[in-house]
Amino acid sequence: MMKRPSLFSLVLAMPLLVWQLAFFLFPLLFLIAISFWTVKMFQMQPDLSFANWQRILTRGVFWDAYLRTMILATSAAVLTSAIAFPASYAISFKLSERAKRWMIFVLIIPFFTSYLVRVYSWQVFLTDAGIINAALGHIGLGPYPMLNNTFGTLVGMVTLCLPLVILLQTFSLNFVNRDLIEAAHNLRCGRLRTVASVVVPSAKVGLVIAALFAFILSFGDFVSPLYLGGGNPPTLSIMITDITKSGQQWPRAAVVAIMMIATLMTVAFAAITYAYKERGK
Amino acid sequence: MDASTTPPAIVKFDNVVKKFGDFVAVEKADFEIGQGEFMAIMGSSGCGKTTTLRMLAGLEDPTSGDIYLDGERVNGRATWDRDTPMVWQSLALFPFLTVQENVEFSLKMRGVGKAERAKRARKWLEKMQITEFADRGINQLSGGQRQRVALARALVTEPKILLLDEPLSALDAHLKVRMQAVLSNLQKDLGITFVYVTHSMSEAFAMADRVVIMSRGRIEQIGTPEEIYRAPYNRFVAEFLGSANIFDGVVGAATPGGHMVAYDGGEVDLPASELLDAKTGDKVTFMVGAENVDLAPTDAGQDGLAATVVGEEFLGATATVFLETDDGQELKVQKSHAELKAVKCHAGARLIAHWAPSACHVLPGEKG
Repeated sequence: MMKRPSLFSLVLAMPLLVWQLAFFLFPLLFLIAISFWTVKMFQMQPDLSFANWQRILTRGVFWDAYLRTMILATSAAVLTSAIAFPASYAISFKLSERAKRWMIFVLIIPFFTSYLVRVYSWQVFLTDAGIINAALGHIGLGPYPMLNNTFGTLVGMVTLCLPLVILLQTFSLNFVNRDLIEAAHNLRCGRLRTVASVVVPSAKVGLVIAALFAFILSFGDFVSPLYLGGGNPPTLSIMITDITKSGQQWPRAAVVAIMMIATLMTVAFAAITYAYKERGK
Repeated sequence: MDASTTPPAIVKFDNVVKKFGDFVAVEKADFEIGQGEFMAIMGSSGCGKTTTLRMLAGLEDPTSGDIYLDGERVNGRATWDRDTPMVWQSLALFPFLTVQENVEFSLKMRGVGKAERAKRARKWLEKMQITEFADRGINQLSGGQRQRVALARALVTEPKILLLDEPLSALDAHLKVRMQAVLSNLQKDLGITFVYVTHSMSEAFAMADRVVIMSRGRIEQIGTPEEIYRAPYNRFVAEFLGSANIFDGVVGAATPGGHMVAYDGGEVDLPASELLDAKTGDKVTFMVGAENVDLAPTDAGQDGLAATVVGEEFLGATATVFLETDDGQELKVQKSHAELKAVKCHAGARLIAHWAPSACHVLPGEKG
């Protein structure tokens, strides 16, 4: 049976409700509405036309970009999670309480700097004449193309997500019951195997949500694909800017945006359902 | 169980010391546990009982001294290389696995095949009467059912020894008594060694063949529940039992069978066997069990200690009466309700507390 919310909780929920209505639900409805509008002589006109939807969804270019963005975001989520986990594990299990607090502080520092600035500084490292290739050149290797390709894009996305993912993973690992780890050892489970068969399943909710955040941030990211990936072939966010620039096609851009929101909602729902799934019938 | 029938030792602590920095958690643990014995390690929190158990499990390493398991020195051997499954106070069941997967866990770690694993797990689920919950998650079980899962998980490899760290402390009183019976029968049934850590005297005395009493890292006494109850070694153990009246005295003149001992409440003639070679002038401490103290009205002409009733505690058929002597010493007397009524016992009443010399037990650990 659903509990009826009290007046008090309703009042407390009001600001959030108003905010969500004004800045999420209303714009979303507006976005959906304009996806049916038409553009004549660079002017948008209210309409009920399916032409935009038909045009976008039947074009191979869109689906190529969609698939590319999915693969990039998924790779970024997996890659970031994998790189973050050993660090999170070490912070949570190997550091003293004092050192732990310092590490969490240090992990917050990257957020002081604009993401755009951090991405630009990666260019210095990744260009053919950049720091990494220069260093490799000294030992007779390279230069390897690292900029304006998928590698560059992924470096940027990992940069974007890594601190947040480490923080989320660390917090979830902090809540892993230490008795479970000792119990696993006691039942003949060695160290490495315990990480895989006890620590990871115990922290599943936090690990999945950390990866989900990495996916969401990377899926909608515009900066890395443009400045480190070269922007061509486009991801969905680059495609949106391209469409709006060419002939004020806001309605078509709205279609792409709605597709992105729908995808994120589906992925988030699936991930959270999976994360909280309990064992046992 | 006396010394001549003690079974061969499966566990031996040889001068084991455990320090955490400057803190001495266990100070010279030196004892053996026999094959098939139910051994309880008892003490209040921080006494070192859990650390002792964890050293046996291989979860802590002793700072010095040796631990032998089944005749083999196991210092420095990791817990996954010992056959010492443990039941945790929190039970430490894996919530991301089903009941059956929990029970199969250690078999899986040993590389036992899937069919064999299921067969052996089923056997233990049946034994612990939790077969119907095999496919449930841990969070869907009650406290008592979880307890059984934890036991099945630890016992599925058929070890020679099982370690238990206060496994019943989270259960309510009624369930606790039932689980005590389950554990006790299980241990007799399997014939393996149980090492059971607890802070509860009733749990230890109800189940264990022998009990180790610890305080502040030291072992105060080892013995059967009866030995400990009848003849506590020192003041700590006597006080821990909760029902002892303790008196300090001085050995006086010799009597035909022993010596007179003078104490705050008067004099008592104690036999030589109790006094353990004490000579005139030695200090001794003796105790009288609360159930061995009698009460009489002040006008009955009975010799004894005059005292005032300050409180009463009911324990079912009997009650414990607390009295205070004129010197401020507290006395505990355990009597049936009828006996208390007969002497008109009520708060504020003055009564004479007395006991037979044979009720006095000298604490050997307090001599000198």
